[in-house]
Amino acid sequence: MRYLVRRLLWTLAALLGVSLLIFVLVRLIPGTIIEVITGTEGQLSPQQRLDLLRSFGLDRPLPVQYALWLWNMLQGNLGWSFRTSQPVAGLLVSRLPITVELAVLTVICVTLIGLPLGVAASITRSVRLKTFVQIIGLVGLSVPNFWAGIVLIIVASFAFHWFPALIFVTPWQDLPVNLEQMSLPVLSLALGLAAVVLRMTRSSMLEVLGQDYVRVAQAKGLSHSIVLLRHALRNALIPIVTVLGLQMGTLLGGVVITEQIFGLPGLGWTLLNGVYQRDYPVVQGAVMLFAVLFVLTNLFVDLTYTYLDPRIRYQ
Amino acid sequence: MSRVEAELRDAPRQSAWPVRRPGYRRFVRRSPVTVIGAGLVLAVVLVAIVAQIIAPYGPNSQDAQPLLRPDRRHLAGTDELGRDELSRLIYGARVSLYVGGLAVSIALACGATSGVLAGFYGGWVDNVTMRIMDVLFSFPAIVLAIAITSILRPSLTNAMIAIGIVYAPIFARIARGPTLAVVTLAYIEAARAVGLPNWKIMLRHVVPNVSAPLIVQTTVSLSTAILTEAALSFLGLGTQPPTASWGLMLSAARQYMLLDPWIAVLPGAAIALTVLGFNLLGDGLRDLLDPRIRTL
Repeated sequence: MRYLVRRLLWTLAALLGVSLLIFVLVRLIPGTIIEVITGTEGQLSPQQRLDLLRSFGLDRPLPVQYALWLWNMLQGNLGWSFRTSQPVAGLLVSRLPITVELAVLTVICVTLIGLPLGVAASITRSVRLKTFVQIIGLVGLSVPNFWAGIVLIIVASFAFHWFPALIFVTPWQDLPVNLEQMSLPVLSLALGLAAVVLRMTRSSMLEVLGQDYVRVAQAKGLSHSIVLLRHALRNALIPIVTVLGLQMGTLLGGVVITEQIFGLPGLGWTLLNGVYQRDYPVVQGAVMLFAVLFVLTNLFVDLTYTYLDPRIRYQ
Repeated sequence: MSRVEAELRDAPRQSAWPVRRPGYRRFVRRSPVTVIGAGLVLAVVLVAIVAQIIAPYGPNSQDAQPLLRPDRRHLAGTDELGRDELSRLIYGARVSLYVGGLAVSIALACGATSGVLAGFYGGWVDNVTMRIMDVLFSFPAIVLAIAITSILRPSLTNAMIAIGIVYAPIFARIARGPTLAVVTLAYIEAARAVGLPNWKIMLRHVVPNVSAPLIVQTTVSLSTAILTEAALSFLGLGTQPPTASWGLMLSAARQYMLLDPWIAVLPGAAIALTVLGFNLLGDGLRDLLDPRIRTL
């Protein structure tokens, strides 16, 4: 319990640091934000400039600006888009489900590919299977996900004459079409992560399988699958979950590029569009949201340790 | 615990990263994968160095039809502007290694320095430095790199700086751990007693003893830096046209991928092979230099 409180406090501190960094980064934009918005450098009279600065609250001292920004953010106000004048918070919230769906489906896919293959590679005697798994592991690590996406599109269209619908459909509108659209992006993202999980599963399983308690379990006549799942895999899971947690950054980063390639209007797509249009409130909000997602998934991963291994009781 | 007891406890391990002298020949035989990795890296480096000699055309010369299929004159076809794809791939190796190398140097310089300082001085220096690194760690790497490049304006140099900043915390963490272990050892105390200034102690006695994991991380980071550069260029936030960069070529080819899959596949393959080379080499170096950390 004390650990939980400390961990939560620590998460809050990290997020505070994140917000400060983003605030400082945005102030580093060359030229004042006013010129970026109006695009009319030197054409504003000093009075007009001053009025604009005041209307955005940019004439106040920086610490006050930061405090105000933080306060607004806590109330769910992330400012307004320079381009569409839409509230940024609303925009991001409407995009979030797509990104979450993509990420969750990818994690499921990664687990479904990585775990069984890793376990298989750790117990098989077949050299061919071992080599196959090793090659998948290495290829997956080295292939950039954006290239995987492109190759998947080429293969799908040339070899299978398969073109998923271009306009994004939410799962509530039409689940099968949505899943069809998600399949290639998920696969392109999952390949690299599955390779990491697979390699970790294999080495972690190999280590656990050599332990005495596994031999005891076998010796007392438990069935092979029970020994494997309940005794070996459960104990091998901790490093696997750790690695999966460490890869969350790769996953969330990959989401940005994958959404761009496949035209999925999620958070990453919104971030990039904000970048291309120099829509800084959107960029600022999206980057903040990505950091929040990342920190929260890490928190979640940390907390699953205690569940997976009751021996872990953080001081 | 008295000083002596603490000394005795630490006596068996003199340094945090023992220098082993493994049989290199045996290593090569036992780990052919590392040799393959080294070979791939060497090949890419060579190609980058002699690009001018081996490239059949200039990277930006438009002297053919656009989107030609591979034939005898253009072994890899031509891109959407009629530039020789093979030549651009060859010149692209330069950009990748240049950006990747400098970005990792920035990350290593900033990260390792702050890590060693944090571990050496401890106390508030340690706290402040590592908290800053933790904040940098709270972003998905590519998202932070995108944010930094978009604010500094997209360019090759800024992509390099962004990648350097994003990967600095890893080096800081990797340098700090062993430094913490090393500073408690007798030879550091001896160096202090002799009256060496702190910077000399760090340079002569700490850094050499924490360098093994840093070398491994440098190799691994080169592969991630090359990937990140490709990703940023792919998104239009890194290298700008007309410079031949693999990520940029891939992004341009994306529009024509169903017309001409060649130009969409080859730059990616170049990235993948280079990254694979650094990954294999990194794995091998890890086993060689630091037997305690097992490959993930």
